[in-house]
Amino acid sequence: MKLALRELVRKPGRFVTATVILTLIAVLLMFLGGLLDGLLRLSTGAIRAQSADAIVYSESSQSSFLRSRIEADDRAAIEAADGVDEVGGLGVVLLGARVPGNGPRDLANVAVWGYELPPTGVPEPPAPGEAYADELLQADGVEVGQELLIGPARTPITVVGWVTDTAYNGSGGLWADLDTWREALAQNRPDAVLADDVVQALVISGPGDPAEVVAAADAANEGTYALTVDDAISAIPGVDEQSGTFNQILGVTVVIALVVIALFFALLTVERTALYGVLKAIGARSRTIFGGLVVQAAAVTLIASAIAGVLVVVLDLLIPPGSIPLYVSVGRIVLSVVLLLIAAVIGSAFSLRRVLRVDPASALGN
Amino acid sequence: MFLAFREMSRAKVRFGLLTVALGMLVFLILFQTSLQNGLLTSFVGAIRNQTAPVLVYSVDGQRVIQGSIITPDLEQLVEEADGVGEVGRIGQGTFSATNADGELTDVTVLGYEVQDLGAPAELVEGRYPESAGEAIGSSNDADAGFGLGETIVVQPGGYEITIVGLADDVQLNAGATLFVTYGDYVDAVKSVNPDAGDPLPNVLGVAPADGVGPEEVVTSVNGQSTDLDALTRSDAADETPGVAQVRQSFQVIFLLYGLVIPCVTGLFFLIITFQKSGALTLLRAIGAPAKRLVSSLLLQAVIIVAAGYAIGLALYTPLSQRRLGGIQLRFETTAVVVWAVLLLVLGIGSSLISARRVLKIDPIEATTGGANR
Repeated sequence: MKLALRELVRKPGRFVTATVILTLIAVLLMFLGGLLDGLLRLSTGAIRAQSADAIVYSESSQSSFLRSRIEADDRAAIEAADGVDEVGGLGVVLLGARVPGNGPRDLANVAVWGYELPPTGVPEPPAPGEAYADELLQADGVEVGQELLIGPARTPITVVGWVTDTAYNGSGGLWADLDTWREALAQNRPDAVLADDVVQALVISGPGDPAEVVAAADAANEGTYALTVDDAISAIPGVDEQSGTFNQILGVTVVIALVVIALFFALLTVERTALYGVLKAIGARSRTIFGGLVVQAAAVTLIASAIAGVLVVVLDLLIPPGSIPLYVSVGRIVLSVVLLLIAAVIGSAFSLRRVLRVDPASALGN
Repeated sequence: MFLAFREMSRAKVRFGLLTVALGMLVFLILFQTSLQNGLLTSFVGAIRNQTAPVLVYSVDGQRVIQGSIITPDLEQLVEEADGVGEVGRIGQGTFSATNADGELTDVTVLGYEVQDLGAPAELVEGRYPESAGEAIGSSNDADAGFGLGETIVVQPGGYEITIVGLADDVQLNAGATLFVTYGDYVDAVKSVNPDAGDPLPNVLGVAPADGVGPEEVVTSVNGQSTDLDALTRSDAADETPGVAQVRQSFQVIFLLYGLVIPCVTGLFFLIITFQKSGALTLLRAIGAPAKRLVSSLLLQAVIIVAAGYAIGLALYTPLSQRRLGGIQLRFETTAVVVWAVLLLVLGIGSSLISARRVLKIDPIEATTGGANR
């Protein structure tokens, strides 16, 4: 091990190109992962934030809030269900908001939510005409205390505080009471008006686990169905497809890293065959020599990952808000490093056979 | 040349690993090119391939059709704008519907008032709707229960729509899309929500008056009110939220993959050249011209890049015909040719560093052992 690390320190030039290539691959992994996280965060934040056990939609809604209608009778049936303790109405409308101080064509995309049971990080519903705004809207110049004019009807809503990570469909959330949401909906979307006792969905909780709450709600009413919050996230159009496609691309990129590492260390091993012969002749075991290779592969990968991590953070800072939906997180960087380390170990294992085949007698020049 | 082939056949693992790495990189580049183009087409194809030369949104819509609402006041302002010929309403909604296979699925319905202002520009099969309850579907969705002659039932409410025509690349929001007359669109909206009032048009399709260009109409309409947002057809497609972000994201990804390929190829040949510098010096000393050694190196680079490209292409071809969720992928011939040329140039370019090293070999070092130092 010491010998391998000493070689890295004394002859860093030998490993520079491999480090550069691995850095590029690590940047790719972290960038692609950050892109996936950013896309998912923008489209699922409001659902992820729900603290309830499950969400109830109307039968033919396809889990779309905008198409779901929960009538008063449906709500009463679910409220009466054994295994359901808490029931709250939920609704959303996607509109443009005029922000004081911005140009007449410079609108912010907002998702106006009406809620009864507060999601995680969102306080109890504010007074009518007020809303908590998602921090995402700060990029549009929104400030606490401002009166935003929502939609073509210019429905006024005053921002009274900030909430975090509650974006939906790429729009920043405005969390208001049900009446404020219903008013914004009626004034701006005549095709989507709902009667006073109708909501788009219900959030429900119960004493059992989420699956039991879902079963209780489904058994209590025929015209609706319930999904756990995790299932509701998966049901958002495109979420599963996006995750699946990106994860496959990430997987192939990891395999490319593995092949590159295998290639580099195979070349390095060929170059050192004579040296390994000498080492074996003086008593070094194949295991020790191979261990050195693995240590070098891991060290090169760690250095490349560290540089890549810094580059991706810098890239994230340079990208203007609202352009590429990149979200860089410690978790994503750590996951990328772990995947690359696994690739490094497996990749360097390609040289094992060659190390085992080195004959100590070759040190004598045979 | 003989040497080049012999060396490759003797070091199969090394050359094989490089070829596989290049093959996978090529596969990812081509697959992601298809993904990007398929994503954009399924996202805004209905806008790009419809008939209205100019689309007018409300500023509130932020260039999303379903988010835009044209109030009667705004509609009148558009009709009164200079250079405007004909104006037609367009409405859009996303509904749950039972397709011909009996599956409940999402469907985007676009209603147009005037065929020349919002219908698909060209049909590949069937005809345009002539009576209520008829629609044009996207050929991309034909195998997903939205084929010619099939009937779709909007839920809840049971409003029936029969597909009488098919057009290529007219999807919106990466899902099944139907074009119906404006009246059908209104009926569909009302069938699913009994509380709904009369829906307002989402956008207006505008044809310029004779002798007036689309750009002039855009300027004229936008001058009428800051609440109006007129765009030419291609601008409306390109400036739909998300389109620019998709393009930018993929550009960064392509740049990074594009950089990895010459780096891997260059590194490989540099190490190989370094390792065999003793043998190369000896060859020079016994009279092998530098040109032949360099040609041999470049030939290897060409073979490796070409073989890698072939592997990538072989992996990509079957996948390029598939459907990914609502996105129809396509074999991108232009991308295949452009990337082939680009990667060949980059691959050979990167191996030129090794060629330079070969050219610098001094045959006299064969007598001093300098080559091995």
